[in-house]
Amino acid sequence: MTGALTLAPWIPVVPFAAFLIALFVGHLAPRTLPRDGGLVGVAATAISLVLSAWAFLTVSGGTTGLETVWNWVPAGAGPFGLTFGVLVDPLSALMVCIVSGVSFLVHVFSLGYMNDEGEPGLARYYAGLGLFTASMLAFALSSTLVEAFVFFELVGFCSWWLIAHWFREPGPASAAKKAFLVTRFGDYFLLVGVVGVLGTFGTAAFAGPNSFPAAARAAIAGTTNANTFGFGAETWVTALCLLVLGGVIGKSAQFPLQTWLPDAMEGPTPVSALIHAATMVAAGVYLVARIYGLFALSPQAMAVVALVGGFTALFAATMGTVKREIKQVLAYSTISQYGYIMLGLGSGGYVAAVFHLLSHATFKALLFLGAGAVIIAMHHDEDMWKMGGLKSRMPVVYWAFLSGALALAGIVPFAGFWSKDAVLYRALTVGLGGQPLVLFAYAMGLVAVFVTGFYTFRMVFLTFHGEPRSEEAASVDGTRANMRYPVAILGVGAAVVGFANVDSLRSYVGSNALYLERWLNGGLPGVSGGTADYYGGLVRSVAGFHAASFDPLVSAGVSLVFALCGVGLAWAWYNVPDPSERTDVLGAAKTLLYNNYYQDEFQTWLAQGVAEPLARGVDVFDGSVIDGVVDGVSSVSLSGSGRIRRIQTGVVTTYAEQLVVGLVVLLVVVLLLGRWF
Amino acid sequence: MVPLQYYLVLSGAVFCIGVFGVLARRNAIVFLMSVELMLNAANLVFVASSAQYGTIAGQTFSLFTMALAAAEVAVGIGIVLVLYRNFEGVDVTIANAMRD
Repeated sequence: MTGALTLAPWIPVVPFAAFLIALFVGHLAPRTLPRDGGLVGVAATAISLVLSAWAFLTVSGGTTGLETVWNWVPAGAGPFGLTFGVLVDPLSALMVCIVSGVSFLVHVFSLGYMNDEGEPGLARYYAGLGLFTASMLAFALSSTLVEAFVFFELVGFCSWWLIAHWFREPGPASAAKKAFLVTRFGDYFLLVGVVGVLGTFGTAAFAGPNSFPAAARAAIAGTTNANTFGFGAETWVTALCLLVLGGVIGKSAQFPLQTWLPDAMEGPTPVSALIHAATMVAAGVYLVARIYGLFALSPQAMAVVALVGGFTALFAATMGTVKREIKQVLAYSTISQYGYIMLGLGSGGYVAAVFHLLSHATFKALLFLGAGAVIIAMHHDEDMWKMGGLKSRMPVVYWAFLSGALALAGIVPFAGFWSKDAVLYRALTVGLGGQPLVLFAYAMGLVAVFVTGFYTFRMVFLTFHGEPRSEEAASVDGTRANMRYPVAILGVGAAVVGFANVDSLRSYVGSNALYLERWLNGGLPGVSGGTADYYGGLVRSVAGFHAASFDPLVSAGVSLVFALCGVGLAWAWYNVPDPSERTDVLGAAKTLLYNNYYQDEFQTWLAQGVAEPLARGVDVFDGSVIDGVVDGVSSVSLSGSGRIRRIQTGVVTTYAEQLVVGLVVLLVVVLLLGRWF
Repeated sequence: MVPLQYYLVLSGAVFCIGVFGVLARRNAIVFLMSVELMLNAANLVFVASSAQYGTIAGQTFSLFTMALAAAEVAVGIGIVLVLYRNFEGVDVTIANAMRD
């Protein structure tokens, strides 16, 4: 690690120090902690943000770094070495900037959302935020899959901690448990995948000449032999990808493990912003982007990723159309948008997916913080049907929120338009290039654009437009500065971030203006792999995903028309002084959507109707058969030994008798066998 | 010269007397004496065979046996003394506490 990158390990260490300070000082001497640890957290994330920006600038100068920090198991000591290191390349430098930036704004916002409202347990809250940020930064900078797995789990633990902040109420406590257990379920597959990668390639390194994506490519090309446990190399790599995908589906809330995320809205709103924009949910798709060199080798795994993404995008969006609470709408939009990122990754659009990750982080953090400001103004009433008319009373929040909503709906020229369209264009061209599954996923994603436009602006119109529909809405106060500024900053971001990669206008502006694509083409010096071009080559030559030629402006126009139709429908139905619930026209389907397709009920039935009777049966078998055999053996030996112990009289004559009898018997046997008689 | 079979029969008889003593008598002193009888029955066979075959190995073994018997008596008398002190008698059937 050279130059400024020697400071890179400090990026996660500083928030970790803030965690320790908030935890121990907050416990031992809470009065000495300024603003209950809030200022420590703000300072730590500010330092992290500066260090991240410095790393970003260093990387943009062409310097990247890969360094081992700790040798857990040295490479020579066993079949494989386990190391913890720091990998600073364009992808991780971009990610740490997103994470520390969002985390910094969330910390500032928390001063207004939590401290000024006099919430209890703030030291615990800020300790959780610090550890959450530290874990995610360390995850983003991980240089091996094992290290990434450790921090992946820590991220899951921290989300449990923070969702359960108001743990004395039953809702948050059970939501936190659900989030932890559902994501853990996916992580079992990831753990098996990690072990599989180690067992197959003998290394878990992400980058460098001895990395496992490089080894996998060599194994598929047939130039080296890997231990594929008797399967063909392609089959086995696909299996490993799907195992890792299990963890990704859990963390990134993709179908069918997305049920934890709407419940996680029980946590404080700044935590929701952090979870959705930068940390927990982003960890899943970031992991796929990190090991894209492995996924790009397997067309089957890519198709599964694309299908899961496209289906989730549509599936979650439909549920968002009928929700009453503002945060519920945002939760389903998060699931849906991460579906787009998965669709982009699955169709080979590495740059498009990372771009959507960046723009989504910006506008979703904005929407959640804006929703937080609205919720504070409404005295923690989240029902949109009691809002209305907030536009004139909180103008800064309104305009920023509108910017985020336009970005989410994908209206030109806001961030979400460029990135979502890049994803859809990529999926369309690959689908037309001979991948019908990807084309199907694209179709679902395109329909979801219409639904997204509708539910986004239903939310905006119900919240901010029309007349106030309750006393709280009629008498809200202005938003305080520590909540207003983060929202305003992100509002500007959501409007301009899209210009980082105006992919739809590629033929007009030239590829030099596609800053993100150029950025992601910087890899580690002296090492092939890890650049966007390298991944593109793998997708074409190994996975066999060829892009058909198609006019990007037509694709962009089609998705824009879909989005505008959705917005227009929301305008017609809800931008009126006295809106009514027009989604009642859906009839029974609305009930289905409102109850999330009864997935929670289905999963509860799986647990209570299938798993529990099965467990009971096993328990009965264990109690009767297994325990019966064990008890039988013990009672037979007990009673038998009770009888046999009677020959032990303790009288020496008895033992002499036994000796003699034994000797005589032995003699007789030997003589008989020796045929001496 | 007396044939070897006679010595063997005599030795067997002495050995059986010793076994009988061990099994049937309760006095610890008699117990010890019976053990001596068995040992000397073995000695008798050693010496007789040695004389019969003109080798010296049997006589050598009988010397070892005598030394063994002396050591055994020393230990045995010690045990008898302890028995007497603890149970005020030398009846071997009284001491059965090591059963447990």
